[in-house]
Amino acid sequence: MNRTVVVVVLVILGLGGLFLALRPDTTSSGDPTETPADEPRERIYDVAIEGGAMNPDEISAEEGNFVTLRLTSESPVEVHLHGYDLEEEVSAGEETELSFEADATGQFEIEDHETEAQLGTLLVQPR
Amino acid sequence: MRRALVPILTPLLLLPLVPQPALAHGFGQSYDLPLPLWLYLYGAGAAVLASFVPISLFSGKRKSGEDAPYLYSRFDLLRIKFLRAVLTSQTLLLGLRLLSVGLFLLVVLTGLLGRQNADANFAPTFVWIIWWVGLGFFTAFVGNVWPLVNPWKVLFEWAEALVRRLGARNGLELREPYPASWGLWPSVALYGVFVWVENVFPGSSTPVYIAVLVLTYSVLVWGGMVVYGKETWLRRGEVFSVFFGLLARFAPTEVRVRYPKLCRGCSDACGTVEKGCVNCYECFARAAPEDRELNLRPPAVGLSRPEPVPPGGVFFVIVVLAGVAFDGLLETPLWNELRRDFSLPQVVGLVALPLVFFAVYLGFVKLSQLFGGGTGGLRRFAAAYVYSLVPIAVAYQVAHYYTLLLVQGQGIIRHVSDPFGWGWDFFGTAGYSIDPGVVGAAFVWYSQVALIVAGHVVAVYLAHLVALRLFEDPGRALRSQLPMLALMILYTVFSLWIISQPIVIEDQAVETAPQEDAAQPAPIEKLREPPMPDIP
Repeated sequence: MNRTVVVVVLVILGLGGLFLALRPDTTSSGDPTETPADEPRERIYDVAIEGGAMNPDEISAEEGNFVTLRLTSESPVEVHLHGYDLEEEVSAGEETELSFEADATGQFEIEDHETEAQLGTLLVQPR
Repeated sequence: MRRALVPILTPLLLLPLVPQPALAHGFGQSYDLPLPLWLYLYGAGAAVLASFVPISLFSGKRKSGEDAPYLYSRFDLLRIKFLRAVLTSQTLLLGLRLLSVGLFLLVVLTGLLGRQNADANFAPTFVWIIWWVGLGFFTAFVGNVWPLVNPWKVLFEWAEALVRRLGARNGLELREPYPASWGLWPSVALYGVFVWVENVFPGSSTPVYIAVLVLTYSVLVWGGMVVYGKETWLRRGEVFSVFFGLLARFAPTEVRVRYPKLCRGCSDACGTVEKGCVNCYECFARAAPEDRELNLRPPAVGLSRPEPVPPGGVFFVIVVLAGVAFDGLLETPLWNELRRDFSLPQVVGLVALPLVFFAVYLGFVKLSQLFGGGTGGLRRFAAAYVYSLVPIAVAYQVAHYYTLLLVQGQGIIRHVSDPFGWGWDFFGTAGYSIDPGVVGAAFVWYSQVALIVAGHVVAVYLAHLVALRLFEDPGRALRSQLPMLALMILYTVFSLWIISQPIVIEDQAVETAPQEDAAQPAPIEKLREPPMPDIP
């Protein structure tokens, strides 16, 4: 019985120690230009839709960012952002803005609403 | 009967593939971010470390017990007057059955007649998320209600009661003898087909295909019940009864007939009834109300009960373990690369994965036997250990799917108001939009790792109970544990690895590429490459 208690204590200590050792240091890794965490940043991306794909095809934002996608396309397309469930008509050769607050973390598909083919992905990382 | 099914199944297989994104897990995309590398490493390390707890619990024990797996504490909920009144209420039971049959009919009707859009139709969300994922969780963590509400069983019973009233004394069952060698193999095959429909079939989220598949399966179930008898088919060939029955072994509740001798005559599938007649649903249904117990018990102990495993029984568990992993594996970059390089169809993975799992499992069981110096057939050992792996699969299933249930499951709020997508608004919830942010990514990551490590610890504990039963000597039991422990760490780390991989959404554009506008040649090479996030 005593041995079990010792093992349980050691395992708990080990689990805790391992956690602290592996966890990345979040307090000092911040980029120096970053505004304080409680002040959401604005992020603007220029996104070109060509040949059935976005360029860049991956948009990476942080939780709480105000994200604006400046969309341009060579042909008219209806862009659908899953999860946030936003839709935006983009006419050929005209810049259209899609803005939202990235309040939900996760990876969200961005697709052509008509063909349901994937154009790209929005990644929202937790803070 | 089998021949009669061919004309029904053939047109289904020939249905043109719809140009829709092939979503894994039937319907609904999970928004989960892949587990960060450091947490994956932590989970793997934690699984190894935490394994010492269940092992130390045993190593000091003097005696192994033949009876140990049967002696767990339990509490009969029916002893509480209020609970007894509620849980044994015939009105409640009838209500649940009517609800279940109603939902069954609604799935078929919305599938056939409703708008053919997964986001506007009741059937895909209900079948893939609420029923398959939700009821699975409920069975594993609360208890098995499927034998009470199974719509195929309920409808068959109603039909039989009607037929008897009309004067047919023998009812509907022909009661042909079920070949003993078939065992659970019909369920193995059906589970394989189910996993294919869920993960590979591109029409899995199309309402009409769901309805057609449900109807096809209904013909099969009722055919099986007519030919071999309702109870035999529910035990052997009704794959969902078999599947939920497996999960029910993990559940913290059990149904038990108070005196095992009451079970002796009623079925050959109730296992070792001398040590207690547990979760033998047909015996339970037949027992007098005062002989029934509905017990609370420690979770997962049902998996350690030694019971005769029918032919195909070990393979069924392996297919379930592999099927759970298959869905996640399909979305990993590694699998997608393999598939591209060797141009493998998904079906190859579907067939190969259970075989690989089975071979690995048998290898480790053999090692365990050698380490412990055990005698007796490999078959006996393989059957004894197989259930102990189930907690890892349950934990992985929950880790992998719970956000899907919480996020995409919200869709049902909208669908109950407008099941057909015809613009109805029964309850005023048709305009509900899904909130994707119910659970934050950081919480999801920690809970996923915690769940999988906890499942692993339970599995190691169960495997050790099995070893104590197989080997009289605790020392030998402990040695025999090492290979099983290695296997479990392997399976746990594999589960963690899957959820740490960036999800590759298979782009149906690859398969439908010829549809591209001819005037505007598509860069095929580019289309072939699914967008692949960088591996951190």
